[in-house]
Amino acid sequence: MARIHWRYGPPLYQPLIDILRLFTQRGVSHGRLFDLGMVLSLAGSLVVVLFLPFGGISPMSGSGGLLVVLYMMLLMPLGIALSGGEAANPNASIGISRKLILAMGYEVPLLLILLAVMTHYGSISIAEIVSAQRRTGASIASVPLVLSGIAYVLIMPAMLGVRPFEVVQAPQEISSGPMAEYGGAYLALATVQHALSAFIAISLFVNLLWGGASNPAVFFLKMLVVFVLVLFVNAAFPRLRVEQAVRYLWRWPSLIAFIGLILVVVVGR
Amino acid sequence: MNLELLLSVAFGGSLLTYVLGRISSRLRDGLAVLISLALVAMVASLYGRTLGGGSYASFLGVPLVLRVGALSWFFAIATAALGSLSVIFSLSYMKGRERTSFYYSMMLLVNAAMLGVVFSGDLLSFFIFWEVMSWSTFLLISYNRGPAVAAGLKYIVMSIIGSMAMLVGTLSLYAAYGTLDIAELTGLVAFASTGYQVFLLVIFGIAFGVKNAVMPLHTWLPDAYAEAPSPFTAVLSGMLTRMGVYGFLLIIFVIVGASRHLHAGSGVPTFNRVLAWLGAVTIVIPTFIAMLQNDAKKLLAWHGIGQGGYMIVGIAFGTSLGVAGGIFHTLNHAIYIVLLFMSVAAVQYRTGGERDLNSLGGLIKKMPIAFVGGLLGISGLIGVPLTNGFVSKWLIYKTLILGGSPFLAFAALIGTWGTILSVYKFLHNMFLGQLPEKYRDVQQSPASMKLPMIVLSSAILLFGVLPGLPLRVINRIIVSFGFESLDVSLWGIASETGALSTVNIFAALLVGCVLVWLVFRAGARVVPVGQEDSYAAGAAVPVDRYHYTVSYYAPLFRMIAPFLKDFCDTFYRWLAGWVGALCSALKRIYTGYVGDYAMYIVVFLAALIFVQIMWGPW
Amino acid sequence: MDRNQLAKWFQAPTKMAHKYSLHAVYFCTGCGIIEVPPVITARWDAERFGVIPTATPRHANLFLITGYVSVKTLRAIIRTYEQMPEPKFTVGFGSCPINGGMYWDSYNTIKHLDRYIPVDGWIAGCMPRPEAIFVAVTHLWTLIDKDMADGYKRYRTNYAAYRANQERALGELEWPPLFPMERGR
Repeated sequence: MARIHWRYGPPLYQPLIDILRLFTQRGVSHGRLFDLGMVLSLAGSLVVVLFLPFGGISPMSGSGGLLVVLYMMLLMPLGIALSGGEAANPNASIGISRKLILAMGYEVPLLLILLAVMTHYGSISIAEIVSAQRRTGASIASVPLVLSGIAYVLIMPAMLGVRPFEVVQAPQEISSGPMAEYGGAYLALATVQHALSAFIAISLFVNLLWGGASNPAVFFLKMLVVFVLVLFVNAAFPRLRVEQAVRYLWRWPSLIAFIGLILVVVVGR
Repeated sequence: MNLELLLSVAFGGSLLTYVLGRISSRLRDGLAVLISLALVAMVASLYGRTLGGGSYASFLGVPLVLRVGALSWFFAIATAALGSLSVIFSLSYMKGRERTSFYYSMMLLVNAAMLGVVFSGDLLSFFIFWEVMSWSTFLLISYNRGPAVAAGLKYIVMSIIGSMAMLVGTLSLYAAYGTLDIAELTGLVAFASTGYQVFLLVIFGIAFGVKNAVMPLHTWLPDAYAEAPSPFTAVLSGMLTRMGVYGFLLIIFVIVGASRHLHAGSGVPTFNRVLAWLGAVTIVIPTFIAMLQNDAKKLLAWHGIGQGGYMIVGIAFGTSLGVAGGIFHTLNHAIYIVLLFMSVAAVQYRTGGERDLNSLGGLIKKMPIAFVGGLLGISGLIGVPLTNGFVSKWLIYKTLILGGSPFLAFAALIGTWGTILSVYKFLHNMFLGQLPEKYRDVQQSPASMKLPMIVLSSAILLFGVLPGLPLRVINRIIVSFGFESLDVSLWGIASETGALSTVNIFAALLVGCVLVWLVFRAGARVVPVGQEDSYAAGAAVPVDRYHYTVSYYAPLFRMIAPFLKDFCDTFYRWLAGWVGALCSALKRIYTGYVGDYAMYIVVFLAALIFVQIMWGPW
Repeated sequence: MDRNQLAKWFQAPTKMAHKYSLHAVYFCTGCGIIEVPPVITARWDAERFGVIPTATPRHANLFLITGYVSVKTLRAIIRTYEQMPEPKFTVGFGSCPINGGMYWDSYNTIKHLDRYIPVDGWIAGCMPRPEAIFVAVTHLWTLIDKDMADGYKRYRTNYAAYRANQERALGELEWPPLFPMERGR
């Protein structure tokens, strides 16, 4: 992103340095739920990652499919919400309420997209959808699902929590929201969790709409392309207020995804 | 062990409790708990047995029959168990209140009536027990005088309208077939004309829809739940409204035998589809209204309506997975809504009746068990994996998606997200955040409150990790309806379109938590601080004012509040006002002046003579 | 910069991590904060040194006291400093924290900041140019390498003296002592 700003910027491995430094700092804890909530959130993210096929690797594909992934994704904001709430800081509480409102905002188009994909392939297992795409081509190229693909790209910045939907973090407004009281190891875990949720969002897109991949290298490359695209959006936009963000998310991406779902149902009939 | 004995114990116990309460309150408490537990044991001993047949009484020439089958046993064990836990909970909640013998005897009476409803084998005893259930509920809702009486009145009026509809249906069945025995009717109604079947479904549907609070018949529920005493609200939401679900199951699958008609023409499947869409609307709108509530009990009440929608959608959709999901969701919802109301009641008990979400906060440090109960309750309500709510919701979603109704599935999934927002507000405003000064000396919940909460929390986790335990019973139910059986194992469901294995998820989550915990410990040790050492931009934390509760989702409210006014309630109030005006106008006949009454008699006789002279009908 | 010398990372990972991840609390203490936005934006790009601003002290390990310290600000500075997780480093930016600077005879400012919170390094100037911040950061790196940037340890060992100074300047303090002090100041 620094290169987009025409400056040198930190090295690519700067986040690793940050996390290492954070682990050596002595943060503060507000109680047992503060610790447990963070642990739960990160554990939830790890389990979701296990459910998503990464190239050819797919550790836990037989245990419930896309619905389980959808629901395990709930553990991530829930864990942070619990531990942030324990912090007794209204900055954290406001941040959590914004996070949940924004999640409600992008869930409406996301659910329409996922339902379109599931209805089109008639299955709730991600591995099956990936292998179906290997036979029939990437979903985003097929007529009914191209609208769903466009809608997903439109809501991708919201799912990653980057501008123009950075309202959750909002350092200038609410002191980084739910992470206001996180220091030391908590912030390190929160950073890792944030990275994992970005990974999950992009990997869902690549798996469901861009054909997945048969080996990890191609998968990683596809994810990188999507990530850089989102980064360009991040660099160019300011931050929307949360009701503006929700209004946008419930208007255009939802409309496009809704039409996509109707198309899928009509074509499948 | 027969059903007459069980019901006699139940009803007799209620009466005895009231009588004993006049003598000694300790005896009465002990007797109430004893009766409830005895009922649980008796119902549990009926597991797997199908009794039926012999009439125990007869009324106007119609024999009254009791029977038990898989469906009845399922609802009965849930009713008895949750009823007994609520009675145990009430031991401390009702301490020091007035009219407690009345309360306990009414609790036991409602319990007994519900057992009677599920055990009745013919429609007349069903109706009798249904009515007993309704008016005893009304008495108990109006237990706290004041606004509770208006709430109870709204409830009883709507419930009576439903019961009258049911009576019409029952009478029409008797007129058509001459018998009210459910077992016999099952064979007969299946061959009736489609129009008659739809008529039956609609008329009984009104009755059960009022009880189960399907939109637009739901308006009695929020006020009634909020004003009733909290342990009774738990029973209300857990089992009483689900008697509506039992009724739906009875009428759709047992009497009309919908499983055989689902793919044949219109009529019954159309009714099912309409019902499913009503259920979908019931999921979405009340869940969003719940977000706007500031009263803890009203918030949970609106969620009760919403979750009822899940059950209706599952049942009305008509596949074996869907019906199983709907029935399972009934049990799950009962467990966690009772748990949630208990945790609200515990907070109310310790803070002197406070249930306004805007003024509570930070109680996790003072009442940890209530918090854990609340946390597990909302996890189940949302459907976090490894809770029982997740399994039943998974079943419902799967059948909706693969059955080709993605829009219904979308409504259900959006309901989940609305649930997340509103229950997080509930949990946060009550237990998280800053502890207000006036609650610094709040103590923990008493032991008799902790016990039911702990039992229910473990049930949530148990049924979440090992859902096979209840699913086996539910499998027998849906087989008895005529669907094909599900492939149920102890930890999940296997079917050809994607399996669910909760043990895998549980193991993965456990390993993940342990790993993360170890990594966390590997970092530098943390410094524990209290809530005064929070970031406040360099200033000292303002006491009592550093808590964000009021208008918790303000940006979202501004957007959606105009769409969520309770139109139905306004409409019903207008209707009630109009009828009241009509009756007041009619009341003017009664002038109280005997001369007017004499003239009414003379005028009526003159009219009769006139008619006889003109047309001579007699 | 020895950021890309892998051997050093294995020898002393903690020190290297703290050197190249100095996140500063974005607390605009005084007039000197006007020099900080140019530093962290594209022209003078502090992010290539690993320095970015953070919103709360809980995330930070560098505290830049930019400009003069009035008595009112001192309360906030002490509170912010105490809320930062250890290990943490403080840099006084400008002449005012060193010896009072332009306000050496004011009734309302603190003349020697080092008596109230420990300071690891100073930058002289009124205001120093943005490049001076980079000189300070690189100098702080050498101090961290030599284990001489131990302000937080000094705070812990001499807390009684620091607290006495704080109470003398500010009167009654609303927060309890951060570390247990032995009686007898």
